[in-house]
Amino acid sequence: MSETTLRGKVAVIGIGISPVGKVPGRSPLWLAADASKKALADAGLEKSVVDGVLSCHAFASPFHRFSVALSEYFGIQPTFSNTLQVSGATAATMFNIGAAAIQGGLAKVILLTAGDSLMTGLTPEMALRSMTESRDQQYEMPYGIPVANTFAMTAHRHMREFGTTAEQLAEVAVVSRRHASRTPGAQQTAPITIDDVLNSGWVTTPYHKLDCSLISDGGAAFILTSAEHAKELGIVNPIYILGGGECYTHEHIFLMPSLTSTGAVMSSRNAYAMAGYGPKDMHIAGIYDCFTGTVIMMLEDLGFCPKGEGGRFVADGHMTYGGQIPSNTHGGLLSFAHPGMPGSLFHFYEVIAQLRGQCGDRQVAGAQLGLVHSLGAGYATNATTVLGTENVL
Amino acid sequence: MTGNDRASEKPIPSPDADSAQLWRGLRDGVLLLQHCDKCRHVQYYQQGMCRQCGAEDIRHRPACGRGKVHSFSVVHRAPGPAFKDDVPYAVLLVDLEEGPRMISTFTGGPPEDVTFDLNVTLVVEISGDGTALPRFRRS
Ligand SMILES: [Zn+2]
Repeated sequence: MSETTLRGKVAVIGIGISPVGKVPGRSPLWLAADASKKALADAGLEKSVVDGVLSCHAFASPFHRFSVALSEYFGIQPTFSNTLQVSGATAATMFNIGAAAIQGGLAKVILLTAGDSLMTGLTPEMALRSMTESRDQQYEMPYGIPVANTFAMTAHRHMREFGTTAEQLAEVAVVSRRHASRTPGAQQTAPITIDDVLNSGWVTTPYHKLDCSLISDGGAAFILTSAEHAKELGIVNPIYILGGGECYTHEHIFLMPSLTSTGAVMSSRNAYAMAGYGPKDMHIAGIYDCFTGTVIMMLEDLGFCPKGEGGRFVADGHMTYGGQIPSNTHGGLLSFAHPGMPGSLFHFYEVIAQLRGQCGDRQVAGAQLGLVHSLGAGYATNATTVLGTENVL
Repeated sequence: MTGNDRASEKPIPSPDADSAQLWRGLRDGVLLLQHCDKCRHVQYYQQGMCRQCGAEDIRHRPACGRGKVHSFSVVHRAPGPAFKDDVPYAVLLVDLEEGPRMISTFTGGPPEDVTFDLNVTLVVEISGDGTALPRFRRS
């Protein structure tokens, strides 16, 4: 562990999300810009104070330098910018890198944003690319291997090694849907049962349709600045970045060191160490949930329960209210929305809103410490961010 | 060529500087593995240097063709029109007897035949477009 630290040096002072779900007629840039306007308004700032922009690629957008295109669209000329790409893990890396850039003096006020329209904005060719894009063109694509398949094989092996059941996987979807039913604007809110999940038709075994995340439109944005500047601005309830960690264990699924233990072990260990807190201290979590089995494996690798017990942990009610770690209280990628890269930013939005105490009837009482874990590409990429209120600095 | 034409055809692998020999070998019906002379590491994914020790003294040797299924998933929803007629098909992670793990698909029987730890045998199949792919059947 390095001696320098991000701990408590940078605060999130503004959050915003666009409409999510089916948002026809709106481009990825509009979705990101709409969320950005809201995040700035939430912080009480004008766009002219933004001197840094971090974003990521959008499938439904032709721009390679999305962060640069977004700045033009939004009418700003930042002096720090980048378009990051580590698949689904990008969200947490944006916070980690944004915090490092502020602490290192590269920027003072960073707009961190993403938008995409996977539901209504993709041409057939773009849709196909989004399905197979991150698979190797020589070793994987010729066989017809969808992204879902790599995650499915890890879940299947988890079932084999630890006796995790299809019902336990389905429970993750059921809980997520129940959470979404209390979240304004969530894409899917109708209650579902374990049987509904098991009868929803195979996608790629052991995953049924309702074990898989949604396809959505949407955008999210955040404003980051130094803890000192947040004070100068008189921000009422800054949420601090306490720790960050990442881990990259492989590129190809067949070179993953273990199908049932991931880079999340290391990324979260580093994030906890920087924060000075452990998994048992967390009050709330946002856990990347591209598939139901992903949540079960992450609950283990993030340290919330021992390896192999994730299925039982979920079935015993530990990922919801009253359990050990209420997770994805907005409904997650499974039920709130999943527009690709912005998807994991909604976990950040929810965890930060929970830490601010703004979640109304889905508020986790007394939430002061939270974790968000983002991952992607068949667990090739993992990134964790620990966040907290002023009380836990 | 329009997007739809391309989508209805299976992706054809384009060999690169690291992988040219692998694809030449497959055209001759053999799966070549890279053996490092220096540290004895064996790799399936082809590179110009050993992933373990970095040495470039790498020898290609044909795999014996025996392996075991480490995990699998049966695809029911095809990733695009090119694979629509193939579903359901089983994607496999196979542990080769020489050590490396590789990804492939099951052939020569229904996907329900696949189980964990199933012993499988390599079959190099040539498709209509001339692409030779290593697949596995039940031993
Ligand atoms: Zn070597």
